[in-house]
Amino acid sequence: MTSGPALVSILRQGDVLVASVHTALDDSQMLRFQHDLVRQIGEHRARGVIIDVAALDVIDSFASRTLQSIADISRLRGAATVIVGIQPDVAFAMVRLGMGIGELPTALDLEEGMVHLARVRDRARR
Amino acid sequence: MTPSAASDEPQLEAQESADIAGLVPLLQRIVTARVGQHPAAEDIIQETLARVLAAEDRIEPGMLEPYAITTVRNVIASMWRKDDVAARNQHRMHDPSESVEAAELLVASEEQLAMTEALARLTDRERQVLLAHEVSGLATQVLADEVGSTAGAVAAQLKRTRARLRVEYVLALEGTEPPTDRCRAVLLALSSADRRRQRELDSARHLLECDVCARLSEPLLDRAPERPDEVRVPIGADPDIVSARQAARELAVRAGFVGADLTMLATAVSEVARNIVRFAESGEVSIELLARPRAGIRVIARDTGPGISDIDRALQDGFSTYDGLGLGLPGARRLMDEFEVASAPGKGTTVSMTKWFEKKG
Amino acid sequence: MDTHSFGEVPPEDQEASSDDQLLPQLVAHLREHRGTLRDDWASRIHDSHLLEAMTPQEMVTETTSVYDNYVGVLETGSVEALQHYARDLSERIIPRGVETHEVVGIVLLLRDVLARSLFEKYQSDFGLLNRVLNAYEPAANRIANTVAVSFVDERERVIRQQQDAIRELSTPVLPVRERLLILPIIGVLDGERAKQLTEQLLRGIRTHRAKVVVIDITGAPDVDETVANHLVQTVDASRLMGASVIITGLSPTIAQTLVTIGVDLSKMNTIGDLQGGLEEAERLLGYTVTRKEVMDGS
Repeated sequence: MTSGPALVSILRQGDVLVASVHTALDDSQMLRFQHDLVRQIGEHRARGVIIDVAALDVIDSFASRTLQSIADISRLRGAATVIVGIQPDVAFAMVRLGMGIGELPTALDLEEGMVHLARVRDRARR
Repeated sequence: MTPSAASDEPQLEAQESADIAGLVPLLQRIVTARVGQHPAAEDIIQETLARVLAAEDRIEPGMLEPYAITTVRNVIASMWRKDDVAARNQHRMHDPSESVEAAELLVASEEQLAMTEALARLTDRERQVLLAHEVSGLATQVLADEVGSTAGAVAAQLKRTRARLRVEYVLALEGTEPPTDRCRAVLLALSSADRRRQRELDSARHLLECDVCARLSEPLLDRAPERPDEVRVPIGADPDIVSARQAARELAVRAGFVGADLTMLATAVSEVARNIVRFAESGEVSIELLARPRAGIRVIARDTGPGISDIDRALQDGFSTYDGLGLGLPGARRLMDEFEVASAPGKGTTVSMTKWFEKKG
Repeated sequence: MDTHSFGEVPPEDQEASSDDQLLPQLVAHLREHRGTLRDDWASRIHDSHLLEAMTPQEMVTETTSVYDNYVGVLETGSVEALQHYARDLSERIIPRGVETHEVVGIVLLLRDVLARSLFEKYQSDFGLLNRVLNAYEPAANRIANTVAVSFVDERERVIRQQQDAIRELSTPVLPVRERLLILPIIGVLDGERAKQLTEQLLRGIRTHRAKVVVIDITGAPDVDETVANHLVQTVDASRLMGASVIITGLSPTIAQTLVTIGVDLSKMNTIGDLQGGLEEAERLLGYTVTRKEVMDGS
């Protein structure tokens, strides 16, 4: 991404990637984010991905769809994904918009996201 | 001017100039009190009226009087100063090239110092919330959730803090402390454009009596009324989608929207703006505050693109010709209270949608 | 015997006859006769059946304060103190149901009582009386105006506050235990209330870090299509925030409405009654409920 304050940060914690979106992203930035994250999943052979979207004040159809794509692609690459930090008003607008939020895996916050990933892994091991 | 020419003036314009003309007796009293029967008295009044007229668009109707009082005082003061400077400089040659750059640099660093000082004079809590909002870009709702308050309350607090910051900034810039207990309160009331408080404090009288406040109030009055009721955002590329929805959110906060309504509005604006970028390449989103029949906000998205040949189909879920979910128009419709699309193939599309602040009934 | 004869004016009044001396002189008069004038006023209030919500003791205190503030405004020309007092007074008496006409009424009575007293004092000199009343009336009107406006402002504020409180009360989000919320829906729902309810629930999920929400609609007599849609959206939005929703108290009629609008009931976690819903919630939260395990042990 261009210079200036980072719009997104991706940190590695063991085999989990924690991606935090820091500010509103436009469509091209969103796609760039998807690209970077998917690449890093491969590079680090991540088994889990947490995307923190607490800073997003709008998640419109394009953003929803991109988040859904990331979740789908990373699952195919062997990493479970969970979206955390969706704000109450944003959640409301997303369902009003009519996003078939389908299989989008979500959790309240980072901590719950970790719990969620651990549970998914437990289930996989059984 | 002949009377017949005047009577041809449209009603509205006559009304506006009547407001300004109403200031004349007030200005005459002030000028007479200060310069007596000075030959320049009439010029001062004319100059003041001209300045008020020029600034009229920036001033809210009820603020005309304090603005005029401040202006007339400044006109008088600058007249004295000019006389004074002219007297002192008669023997000197004026050299305009004299290190203008250095002076500008000095001004810039002074302004920065003043801002730092002004920030320091806020309470810790005021400063934290302001910086979190302005610098870190946290939404009022997020801030409200953190402290268990409402977005509306936080927005109101931010407004007060900004008004206070402006006051502290001009004070710091001047390097003065206000001479009376009343000054800060009056300046704050002017800075926040709070007319009720201004009346309570009898600000107009205070401006007449207090030199410091009269001087300081000018930048404050200039700033406060920057409140257009309509914002137009040209749409040409991806980043404009974000600008459009942010502009809509800001304007809607002023109409009193809070919480999910704000987010729904911003989301709907995002969808119609994206339609322009994807289908028409360029266009415009205009966002307008409504007062009648109820408080609300109207968004009009116009483009000169290829148009939509089958609007009914475009409003069905799942219809889309670009790689999206086909949610654009039907989704925006669900988020708003009123929604209309007009389109002519080959000429372009206009989407108008409204969200009411007060619901019917 | 009356020693005054017409036309004879006490020397200090003659001296004070320039107009800007009038108000101070008038104020001095009102101060001097404070006790009797105030009593006079209080009895007029009583006769007019105003402020009957107040005790006699309160009447004495408040009328004295209003009187002093009133005279204070006449003296200084500044309504600021009165404004604060009027707002403060309004705040105290509005909860008791004091109406706008009563507040305006008592101020007009006071204006009248004082005007009469001035009339009595100055009636011997008609010219002076006229000038006194000319000075008094605009100030008195301004006071009446100020008090009325302050009262109405305050009343509006209180009403707004009460409306907010009622809205809050009508949609209580109850934290039952850690990470578990119950939202009992009681009374008629319309689209607007359903929306507020959802917003409040979503905030509640965040504040209480809820994992499970039980929405009990036993107390909702009627659920139309709009509200049913809302219910579905509430379930979805809660899930986006990481919370599961259990719906209890779903009547056959409401279930039918949901099916009609195309809701797949198998995807919603619905349980007959609140008790069962709470047990399911505990299970989801990972607590074991012995009784249920025994029953489930098939």
